[in-house]
Amino acid sequence: MFNYITRRLLQIPVVLFVLSLIIMGLMQLLSPEQRAAAFVTSDKQIENLDLIIEKYHLREGFVVQYKLWAGEVLRGNLGFSRISKEPVLTTIRKRFPASMELALAAFVPIVLVGVWLGTQAATHRDSLLDQLLRVVAIVGWSLPTFVVAIWLVAWIYGGLGWFGIGRLPSSLLIELAGGDFKKYTGLFTIDGLLNGRLDITLEALKRLVLPAAALVIVVSAGIMRVMRSSMLDELGKDYVRTARAKGLAEKTVVYKHARRNALIPVITMAGPMLGRMIGGIVVIELIFNFPGLGEWAAKAALQLDVTTLLAFVMLIGLIMAVANLLVDIAYVVVDPRIRYE
Amino acid sequence: MSSPDYDAPKRERWYESKRFRRFRRNPLAVAGVLILLFFAGMALLAPALTADRLPRGCMRDLGLGRSEARTALRNPAHPAFWRATFAPPGSCYKIPRVSYSPVPKPPSKKYPLGIASGGYDIYYGIVWGARTSFYIGVLVVGIVLVIATVVGGLAGLFGGWLDNLLMRLVDVVYSIPGLVLAMVFASIFGRGLIKTMIAIALVAWPIYARMLRGNILQVKAQDYISAAHAVGVGNLRLFFKHILPNAIGPMIILASLDIGAIVITASTLAFLGLGADVGYADWGQMISFARSWISNPGGEPLKYWFVWFWPSMAIALFVLGWNLLGDAVRDALDPRS
Repeated sequence: MFNYITRRLLQIPVVLFVLSLIIMGLMQLLSPEQRAAAFVTSDKQIENLDLIIEKYHLREGFVVQYKLWAGEVLRGNLGFSRISKEPVLTTIRKRFPASMELALAAFVPIVLVGVWLGTQAATHRDSLLDQLLRVVAIVGWSLPTFVVAIWLVAWIYGGLGWFGIGRLPSSLLIELAGGDFKKYTGLFTIDGLLNGRLDITLEALKRLVLPAAALVIVVSAGIMRVMRSSMLDELGKDYVRTARAKGLAEKTVVYKHARRNALIPVITMAGPMLGRMIGGIVVIELIFNFPGLGEWAAKAALQLDVTTLLAFVMLIGLIMAVANLLVDIAYVVVDPRIRYE
Repeated sequence: MSSPDYDAPKRERWYESKRFRRFRRNPLAVAGVLILLFFAGMALLAPALTADRLPRGCMRDLGLGRSEARTALRNPAHPAFWRATFAPPGSCYKIPRVSYSPVPKPPSKKYPLGIASGGYDIYYGIVWGARTSFYIGVLVVGIVLVIATVVGGLAGLFGGWLDNLLMRLVDVVYSIPGLVLAMVFASIFGRGLIKTMIAIALVAWPIYARMLRGNILQVKAQDYISAAHAVGVGNLRLFFKHILPNAIGPMIILASLDIGAIVITASTLAFLGLGADVGYADWGQMISFARSWISNPGGEPLKYWFVWFWPSMAIALFVLGWNLLGDAVRDALDPRS
């Protein structure tokens, strides 16, 4: 097990290396001027692009350029983001908590809704409920995230005036910027509690409802479908018949015996689901005006801020690799029969 | 008078097969097919449906005047009808602008679905957008199949270090959420429909390459391959005549059914502003026109509902049609699931 984890951890830098090779390789399609922006560290330098092209040998071949970029990154300089007008690392540190808060707020309901509906569909197999849930799942799976987000903004926020968009109302944000509100975690909901400011926690929660709901609608359908089929598998097994034969209540059989085993294949879905969630967060943050990493990256893509995009992809690659490793470990914890050599 | 037909077993027609019957009796499958037929009809008849509102450039390229276009494009006997239906000039995909006003205008008799911000005719965009969506879906699947066949084929054919290398590349591309990587590629390639499609294809191929490689390995282990090898069939001929045709089928079917997912990615990129040129009939871009009119504009909630409602419904229904069809086909091919 220990060997397996070490090997997987050692693979992460290789994945990041190949990713950066692919993106840097495609960047060779751009003119030297466009590429020079990747090395700019302050606004003033943008005026002296020619000097930068000279300094970083941007007219030279790919290998020379890649070595230079990698050298800077290994020294801890991820570059300067034109979009946020500050070093990339500073922006990541600032914006990461916002995306994290949104992801956490959506994660729990996604899993609960998916598992619950999947169980319901399986226990009511081929009934009206099952058919209905099947349609719901396909519809949820078919809706692009940005369409769901726009419907929610238009109907719930615009039409009914419920909840809100952004992270906090601007009056509170101004107060936070000047006041003695301590940022322990960067998550406003938790910091509000720690500072004894319940109003901030409530406002932040209120504004998380719609973006999280959009993610739940789009992502939980996948979990539900896997849960349904794995639950049907388990319900057809001998141990379930035995449990029923010895007179256990149906509730105990379904929830205590079958469902616990049915959850194991759902864990495998965590990786793809996280990927879908990250893609969704990028769009949702843009539509809900939520100042997180996704919004930053979407804006960077519009203006070809290659430094920002490279850093964003590296970060997502790192997150996905770690998440997939954690899934593999969780697999062993949940099902002791699984062994990695 | 003995005809060989008497001895040969009666060949089952495809529409009599169990698979097709299972497919036909599935109401969701029928719904999916109907939705797609609706969009296909809309896409095919786009010139006839919009004959009275074609943009000037399009009419010039077709060599028609305004009043002439109205009758010619709805008359199958006219050569312009066939040209506009099957090979319309690129200028026909530009949504005509009624005005340059940033304020949307509600549906009226002449503009039944309303006018979007910037004076774009929504009805025109929806109808020609159906064409764009099919075009994107089919072309991206085509590019994906080419990349996947080359990569999966090389990996399956040669094995060894090449296989190892290519499959690790598959792992790396697959490890990043498709939308994020497509966004980066589209940003580097720049704006334009073809460039966006290449960006999406470059992200979508890994799963199919892996699938093809698996199928090739499976076919390679079959007895008839050893038999062909034993009678002295050359390696290239063995691969192209015996292995590839038997391994490529499932990949083609599954990739074609993935058009829904491809259209989601494409419309998301267009919404972000990384899609076709501004003004191109594309549903995702039409929603981005609506951006500033979605949440409670001017204190009158839902006043401008038509700017986002029609394009978002079009995308959702189009993708739903493909997913219903895809689900039903997968069920019909594999009844266990």
